[in-house]
Amino acid sequence: MDREFITRGVKRCSGGKFLLWILPWVAMLIFGLYSAGLCLVKGLNQTNMDNRFAFGLWIFLDLTVIALGAGAFFTGFLLYILKMKELRAVINSAVVIGVVCYSGAMCALAVDVGQPLRFWFTFWYPNVHSMLTEVTFCITCYLTVLMIEYLPIVLKNRKLRDVPEFLVFEHELHKLIYVLAGVGTFLSFFHQGSLGGLYGVLRGRPFAFREGLAIWPSTFFLFILSAAAVGPSFVLLTTWLVEKISKKRLVRPEAMQMLGRISGLLLAVYVLLKTIDTLVWINRTSPGNGFPAAQYYAWHPFGTWILFTEIALLGMVPALILLTPKLRARTGWLVSAAAMACCGVALNRFVQTVQTLAVPTLSFDKFMTYTPSWQEVGTFLAVLAYGVLVYSFSFRYFQLFPDERELKLEVAQVEEEPALVGRY
Amino acid sequence: MLPWNYGFHWTAGTMIFMGAFYTVVVIVASTLVNAALRSRRALRTRQAERIRWAEDFHDLPARDRQCRHVLTGEFGYRECPNAFDCRQCETHAKLVASAAPDRISEPEEDIFGMAFPLDRVYHRGHTWVHSEPDGTVTVGLDDLGRRLLGEPDRVDLPQPGGRVSVNGTAWHAHKRNADVRILSPVDGEIVATGGPDAPWYLRIRPDRMDFRNLLGGHEIRPWVMREMERLQLALSAEGAAPTLADGGVPVQDIAAVYPQADWDAVCGEMFLEA
Repeated sequence: MDREFITRGVKRCSGGKFLLWILPWVAMLIFGLYSAGLCLVKGLNQTNMDNRFAFGLWIFLDLTVIALGAGAFFTGFLLYILKMKELRAVINSAVVIGVVCYSGAMCALAVDVGQPLRFWFTFWYPNVHSMLTEVTFCITCYLTVLMIEYLPIVLKNRKLRDVPEFLVFEHELHKLIYVLAGVGTFLSFFHQGSLGGLYGVLRGRPFAFREGLAIWPSTFFLFILSAAAVGPSFVLLTTWLVEKISKKRLVRPEAMQMLGRISGLLLAVYVLLKTIDTLVWINRTSPGNGFPAAQYYAWHPFGTWILFTEIALLGMVPALILLTPKLRARTGWLVSAAAMACCGVALNRFVQTVQTLAVPTLSFDKFMTYTPSWQEVGTFLAVLAYGVLVYSFSFRYFQLFPDERELKLEVAQVEEEPALVGRY
Repeated sequence: MLPWNYGFHWTAGTMIFMGAFYTVVVIVASTLVNAALRSRRALRTRQAERIRWAEDFHDLPARDRQCRHVLTGEFGYRECPNAFDCRQCETHAKLVASAAPDRISEPEEDIFGMAFPLDRVYHRGHTWVHSEPDGTVTVGLDDLGRRLLGEPDRVDLPQPGGRVSVNGTAWHAHKRNADVRILSPVDGEIVATGGPDAPWYLRIRPDRMDFRNLLGGHEIRPWVMREMERLQLALSAEGAAPTLADGGVPVQDIAAVYPQADWDAVCGEMFLEA
């Protein structure tokens, strides 16, 4: 039925199978929308957040998906600015991931902030002293840039490009895509940094407070670096997952390994700087504020294991794997390391968001735990389902992996080689 | 962020932030406007077909973008930098100038039972061009292209009086699930149309009798050999078992013997369409 919308020469499952695949995600999305609707209509009393836990699951989700979605800007930067041509194989997928991550984060943030009809207040009446202002402006601009970058992918759809206006606009826009890649890099640099800066400037939360350079705390730079490091890993991981689910070869191993190498290199630098930052914080910043660092880890379950897991297990180990050519060449190691790196950044964002708020800082404060309500989980699931659906439709109808057709022929050639030798 | 907001002060920080923000907005907006203006210009100057081919060529697998001189063994590996339009290619001009002239002894090449008359020149999208005495040219499908489409389900020919351009759409043919865009080998005005049952599809008054982009003479055999290899691969990729036995002759309607194959994909591959 939808055959003529599917890229020529690539195979996609039947319409019925596709319907079966999207049905559970649609159900999850409906449940999530209901949850989000409750929060928007009835207010944040539907959540388990309060004045102490003003940041919860949603902010953790926002920070994590924005870090994982950094693959879009970083891959674009590497391809269009540094001319790493191998990454052409994954750039479309990276852009879709970016669109999904950023738009999903914006939706979750809209539910969290509430009053969606007054969304424009943040632009019209901004608090110029807040890093959130920079984050809001940058993310809005970057999402716009991502949508424009997504446009050529949509217009390249087989049926749409039959319309000459679409074909020509897609072509002309694609010729200028390096400008958007540059702008995207600039914007990402600042909003990733400002998201980190949000925590680093919390003087009242010495667990998160950091010193830094001029007006920027160290977390500003660490967030940029960690996002740039795991962005390619997430693109790699997603590509591998799509290959497994669709049972197709989509990308050459060289492109996957290049993503792994770049990720490993940046992750190694990040782990090094994070370690230095942690040591400075333990020995200088925190004691200087009257808090021995050990006391933050006396509150279970947030023991020192979490620090070890974040920096060593999910930081240094995947960095070493990704930097070792022999291990990187094996898909199992490569994908496991990428998954570990992604989990590492998620854990970092969890620590920054939840552990920061859980640990008491005043003498009358108590250690507090927080468990999200089902409405919060529902909204979280809605973002997840939305992402899977957008990606699934994009994979089905758009050319996310330009090498797919060529790889299909190469597989056929390998199978045919003995038969072809000497024939013609 | 606006000067009339409550509490707004002109500070260096505010100016830097505002400057950066509005610069980004202006850059993004001007990029979009620029793309829109370029598109309008391209549409007005009828560049859509050229752009379609440029994109299709770019999306072809690397092995299908090979230079014609790779086929004849003059190069080991070379991707065509001119999207198969050799009229502008200096390398092609040099190689043609230094090559010995073709000695044609037979009136046509018989390759795997397919006839490729040598009185005409061939486009790599499986069309031929034959010069007529009245200054027009006739354009038709070569024998392999004809067998790929067999008896087409439908053919959409352009109206006489219309124009075609090199590597632009000449006509559309439909076969089973395939909607194939046949590429034009020449620039010119359509004088008359034929069809699958006529000896040619289009009669064209070319802008120039310049066929340097087309294959002829000694180039035909190695090209058809390569095309057979590509066909074999395209069929295998579509799950059709290899059945082209040594010395065999392709049947008149290849699609009919591969009912399970995705003919749209096979035709896209063979007629150079993305």
